[in-house]
Amino acid sequence: MGSQGGFGQSKEFLDLIKSIGESRSKAEEDRIVLREVETLKLRLNDPNTPKYKLKEYIIRLLYVEMLGHDASFGYIHAVKMTHDENLLLKRSGYLAVTLFLNEDHDLIILIVNTIQKDLKSDNYLVVCAALNAVCRLINEETIPAVLPQVVELLGHQKEAVRKKAVMALHRFSQKAPGSVSHLISNFRKKLCDNDPGVMGAALCPLFDLIAADVDKYKDLVVSFVNILKQVAERRLPKSYDYHQMPAPFIQIKLLKILSLLGIDDKKASEQMYTILGDIMRKCDSTSNIGNAILYESICCISSLHPNPKLLEAAADAIAKFLKSDSNNLKYLGIDALTRLIKINPEIAEQHQLAVIDCLEDPDDTLKRKTFNLLYKMTKSSNVEVIVDRMIEYMISINDSHYKTEIASRCVELGEQFAPSNQWFIQTMNKVFEHAGDLMNAKVAHNLMKLIAEGFGEDDDTADSQLRSSAVESYLRIMGEPKLPSAFLQVICWVLGEYGIADDKYSSSYIIGKLCDVAEAHPDDDKVKAYAVTGIMKIYSFEIASGKHVDLLPECQSLIEEMLASHSTDLQQRAYELQSIFTLDAQAVKKIMPMDSTCDDIEIDKNLSFLDGYVQQAIENGAQPYIPESERLGISSISSFKSHDEHEPSTHALRFEAYELPKPSLPHNIPPVLASSTELVPVEPSYVADILHPTSAPSASDAGSSELKLRLDGVQKKWGRPTYSSPAPSSSSTNQVKVQNETPRPDSASSSKPTIHDTAYISRKQQIEISPEKQKLAASLFGGSAKSEGRHLPSQKNLKTQNHTSDTYRSSKAPAPDTAVKTSQPPPDLLDMGEPSIASSTPSVDPFKQFEGLFDFTQETTPVSTGGVHGATKDSDFTSLFADMSLSAQSHIDPNPEPNGLRGNKVKPSGNQLNKGPNLKESLEKDALVRHVGVTPSGQNPILFKDLLG
Amino acid sequence: MIHFVLLISRQGKVRLTKWYSPYSQKERTKVIRELSGMILTRAPKLCNFVEWRGYKVVYKRYASLYFCMCIDQDDNELEVLEIIHHFVEILDRYFGSVCELDLIFNFHKDSLVEAAKEQASSISNMIAQATK
Repeated sequence: MGSQGGFGQSKEFLDLIKSIGESRSKAEEDRIVLREVETLKLRLNDPNTPKYKLKEYIIRLLYVEMLGHDASFGYIHAVKMTHDENLLLKRSGYLAVTLFLNEDHDLIILIVNTIQKDLKSDNYLVVCAALNAVCRLINEETIPAVLPQVVELLGHQKEAVRKKAVMALHRFSQKAPGSVSHLISNFRKKLCDNDPGVMGAALCPLFDLIAADVDKYKDLVVSFVNILKQVAERRLPKSYDYHQMPAPFIQIKLLKILSLLGIDDKKASEQMYTILGDIMRKCDSTSNIGNAILYESICCISSLHPNPKLLEAAADAIAKFLKSDSNNLKYLGIDALTRLIKINPEIAEQHQLAVIDCLEDPDDTLKRKTFNLLYKMTKSSNVEVIVDRMIEYMISINDSHYKTEIASRCVELGEQFAPSNQWFIQTMNKVFEHAGDLMNAKVAHNLMKLIAEGFGEDDDTADSQLRSSAVESYLRIMGEPKLPSAFLQVICWVLGEYGIADDKYSSSYIIGKLCDVAEAHPDDDKVKAYAVTGIMKIYSFEIASGKHVDLLPECQSLIEEMLASHSTDLQQRAYELQSIFTLDAQAVKKIMPMDSTCDDIEIDKNLSFLDGYVQQAIENGAQPYIPESERLGISSISSFKSHDEHEPSTHALRFEAYELPKPSLPHNIPPVLASSTELVPVEPSYVADILHPTSAPSASDAGSSELKLRLDGVQKKWGRPTYSSPAPSSSSTNQVKVQNETPRPDSASSSKPTIHDTAYISRKQQIEISPEKQKLAASLFGGSAKSEGRHLPSQKNLKTQNHTSDTYRSSKAPAPDTAVKTSQPPPDLLDMGEPSIASSTPSVDPFKQFEGLFDFTQETTPVSTGGVHGATKDSDFTSLFADMSLSAQSHIDPNPEPNGLRGNKVKPSGNQLNKGPNLKESLEKDALVRHVGVTPSGQNPILFKDLLG
Repeated sequence: MIHFVLLISRQGKVRLTKWYSPYSQKERTKVIRELSGMILTRAPKLCNFVEWRGYKVVYKRYASLYFCMCIDQDDNELEVLEIIHHFVEILDRYFGSVCELDLIFNFHKDSLVEAAKEQASSISNMIAQATK
C-alpha cells in the first residue's frame, strides 16, 4: 500500500476512495457517496468521537464535497476544528474551512474571531495558517477586523510570516483598494526586506499598483534595476536557483515591472539598458526557463525606448527561437517578432521563411499566432496575400469566436490597405459569404457605402465599372443557398441601386431576382425589407425614365403577402411600393432620384416646415407640444398638486399634466374623477375618437388632446398611457427614410484606399517566375525591400536559402541550443530541454495491484509507445513516472543535499511503506526547510545593502 | 495571472482543479469539457499552448496526466510551463515518486503540497498568486 499507507488514514477511507475509483457509473458513485454522507453525519454529530478521528472525517467530507455533493451539514465542524489547540487539527480545520466556505458565507463571522486570536499566536505555523485563511475568507467588510494585526505581522521575525502578510495585504488591495491605500508604502519597504522571498512577494502587489499608475513609482526604477542586477549576478542564496538559473521567477516579474516603467520614458529606459544587455547575454538558452527569461527580456526591450544594440540582441534571440525545433519556442519567436516589428518593421524580413513555415505548420496555435503577426505587419503591398491567406484559414475553421475575430481583421485590413476597390469587393464577398452572420452590421453598411461612393476621386468610369462588377458578382452569388442575412442585405441594396444602371440587365430580370430572395427567406424581415425597397427603386427608376411598367405577377403576390405582414415596417414598404404606380414620372423622380445615395440629405431636426401646420392647429385649440423632459417634470409637480387639491388616494393623477395649461380644463375634470373608479362609461366616445386620429395620419395635436381628456379614467386603470409621440416628426422621418435608404454609419468615412496599381503589377510578374514558397515570402515581405533597392541581394539570398531550406532544416538544425533536444524526443517526460534518461528503469511496480482500478492502463499502451516514447516498450505509466523522477533528480542534484531535505528521499523501488513522509514528519520537514532554506547565507546580509543605503 | 489549474487524465477525468477566478459550477464543467476536448486531441509534437476565449492555456503532459494552467493573454507562456514543471518536481519530491494515484489518494494534501512547494523551492511569483 505504498502511496497510501503511512499517512494515518483508516482503512475505511481508503476503501471509500477505491470504491469510487472503481465505480462504473455516475449512479453507482452517487450511491456510495450518499452512504458516506450518512455515516459522516452520524459520526460527526456523535459527541464521543475522538478528536483525531474527527480530522479524518472532515477530510472525508471534503472528498464528498469535491465530488459535487452537499456537505454543508459538516461545515460547522470544520469551523469548530479551527478552534482546536492541536496544531495539526487546527491546520486541517483551516484547510477545510478555506475550501468549504466562500467569503460571503454566514459562518465567516465565527471564524474571524479565531483568526484574530491566531494571528497573535506565538507559534508561527499557527499564524501562517491564519494568514492563509485571511487571504481566502476575509471580505471587504471584515478587512478592518484583521488589518491592524496583518500590518503588524509585516515586521514578524519569521520571513514566512512576513511573506504571507504581504500577500494578505495584496489580497486586500485587490478586494478593496480603498481599505489599504494608506498602507502602500509598506510594499515599498518590503522591497528592501532581508529575505528575498519577502521581496519577491512584494513585487506582485507593486506590479499591480504600477500597472494602475506608472508615474507614482518612477523613483523605484533604480531599486528594481539594482535588485535585478543582484539576482542576475547570483547573489541570492543557492536555494533560489531553478535549473541553474538564479531566481528566474523573480527575474521575470522584475522584467515585467521594468517594461511598464520604461514605456515612453527615455530616461527610465536608459537606466535599464545595461542590465537588460547583461541578462540577455547570461541567459542559458538550452533550458526552458532560460528561454522564458530571454523572451521576457525581448518583451521588455520592445516596450522600452528603443536602443539599437538591444534591438539587435533581441533580433538574434528571435532568430534562435524561430530556428528551434520546438514549437513552443517558435511560438514565442513569432510572438516576440510581433512585438518587435512595431519598432523595426525590417526585422521580419530576415525571418520570412521561418514565418512561412509556421504559417503552414499543422499546429493551430502556432498558425494563429502567425496570423496575428501577419496582421500586424500588413502593408498595402502585401495585403492581398495576407488577406487571402486569412480568408482561406477562416473558411477552414469552425470556432466562431476566432472566426469572428479573423473576419473583422480581414475587413479592417481591406478597408485600410485595399489596393483596388474591385479587390476589396471581392474580398468582402468572400468574408461575408463565410462569416456574414458573425459580423457587425456596420461592416455591411461600410461595404454599401464604398460601392456607392466609389474611389472618392473624380473617376466616374472606374466607379461605374466597380458597381457593375459588384452587380455581376452578386447576381452570380445570390443563387447559392444559405447566404448570411447581412450579405443578402448588401446584395439587395446594390441590386436595387445599381442593378439596371448600365442597361446590361432588364428591370424585370433584376426584380425577379429580388422577389426570389424575398421568397427564399420568409422569416427574415430585414432581407425582405431590403428586397422590397430594391424593387421599389427599380420600378421608380423605370417610371421616372418614362417607360411603361407592368407589375410582375410574382412581385404582385409579394406585395400582397407583405400587406398582410405582421411587421408594420414591411407593410409600410409594400404600401409605398403600391402607391408609386399611381404617381406620374415627375413625382417619382423626386421621390427616388437616380444614383443619389451619396447626396447629402439635410435633415431639419426642428421640423420647421411644419411650423405653419402646428400654428394652425394651436389656433384651433390644440395644446402646444411640451418636450418629454419638461412634461415629466411638470407631471410630477401636478400630481403633487392634485394630490393636495383632490382626493388623496388617486395614484395616477399625474396625467393631468396635459390639462394644466388649458383654460377649458376645469369642466373636463369632473367626469374624469367620476370615472376614476369605473372605466366603463368612457367606452363609446373612446372608440369614436380613436377613429379620428387614424383617419388623419399626421395626428393633429388637437385630436390627441381631445382623446386624452376622455381617456383619463381608462388610462388610470390601465397604467401609463403612451404619449402619442409628436406626429409630425414621425411622419417626416418616414419621408427621410424612403429617400435615404443608404444606411449612413455615423463614423467618419473610412480612410480612402489608395491605388498601387503599378507596384501591384510589377510584383505580380515577379511572383510568377519564382518558386512557390519564395513567391509567398516575397509577397509578404518583399514590399518594403523593393522600394529601397536592397531588394535584389536579399532576394537572391532568399532563393538559395529556399532551395536548401528543407535539407537545411534537417541537417543543420542542431544549432547549439537545439542539439540536445533532437537527440531525445520524448515529450511526455519531465524534460523540455533537459537531458533525461530516455530508457525507463524498470522498477518494482508498487501500483501493479491497482491495474484493474483504472481501466486506461491498458488503453494507454499502444498510443504512448507508438506516438511518443519509442524507446520504451514497456509503457506502463508507473515506469514513466519512475523515469520522470529520475530525470527530476538529475537536474535537482547539482546542488546536492542543500538543506537536508533529500535525506528523506527514498529510491523508487521497494519503498512502499515509507514512500511519503507521514504528516508529522512532513510538518517537521516544513519547519526545517523554512529554517534552513530561507535563513540568510553568508552573502545575504549585504544583499540589499545598496537598496537600503 | 493564473485563472485556474486543471489536472486531467488522458481519459478526460478531472483529477484536481483549483480556481483562482470566479467561475460558477456550470461554467466550470463547461470549461473543463471544452478544454479537455481541445487539449487531449492535440498531437504530441505541437506546442504546449492553446489560445482559448481570449486567454491562453498552457498544458503539459506527464505520463497519463495533463497539467493545465489558464493565464492571461500577455503572460509569459514558457514561465508558466516551467511553473508546471516546478510543481511536478515538488510533488515528486513530496511523494517520493509521484504518480496519478498519489494525487487521487492524497487530494487533501493539495494545499500542503502547495505550502511545501513554497518553502522547498523558495519563492516564485506564481505562488504569490496561488496562495492568495
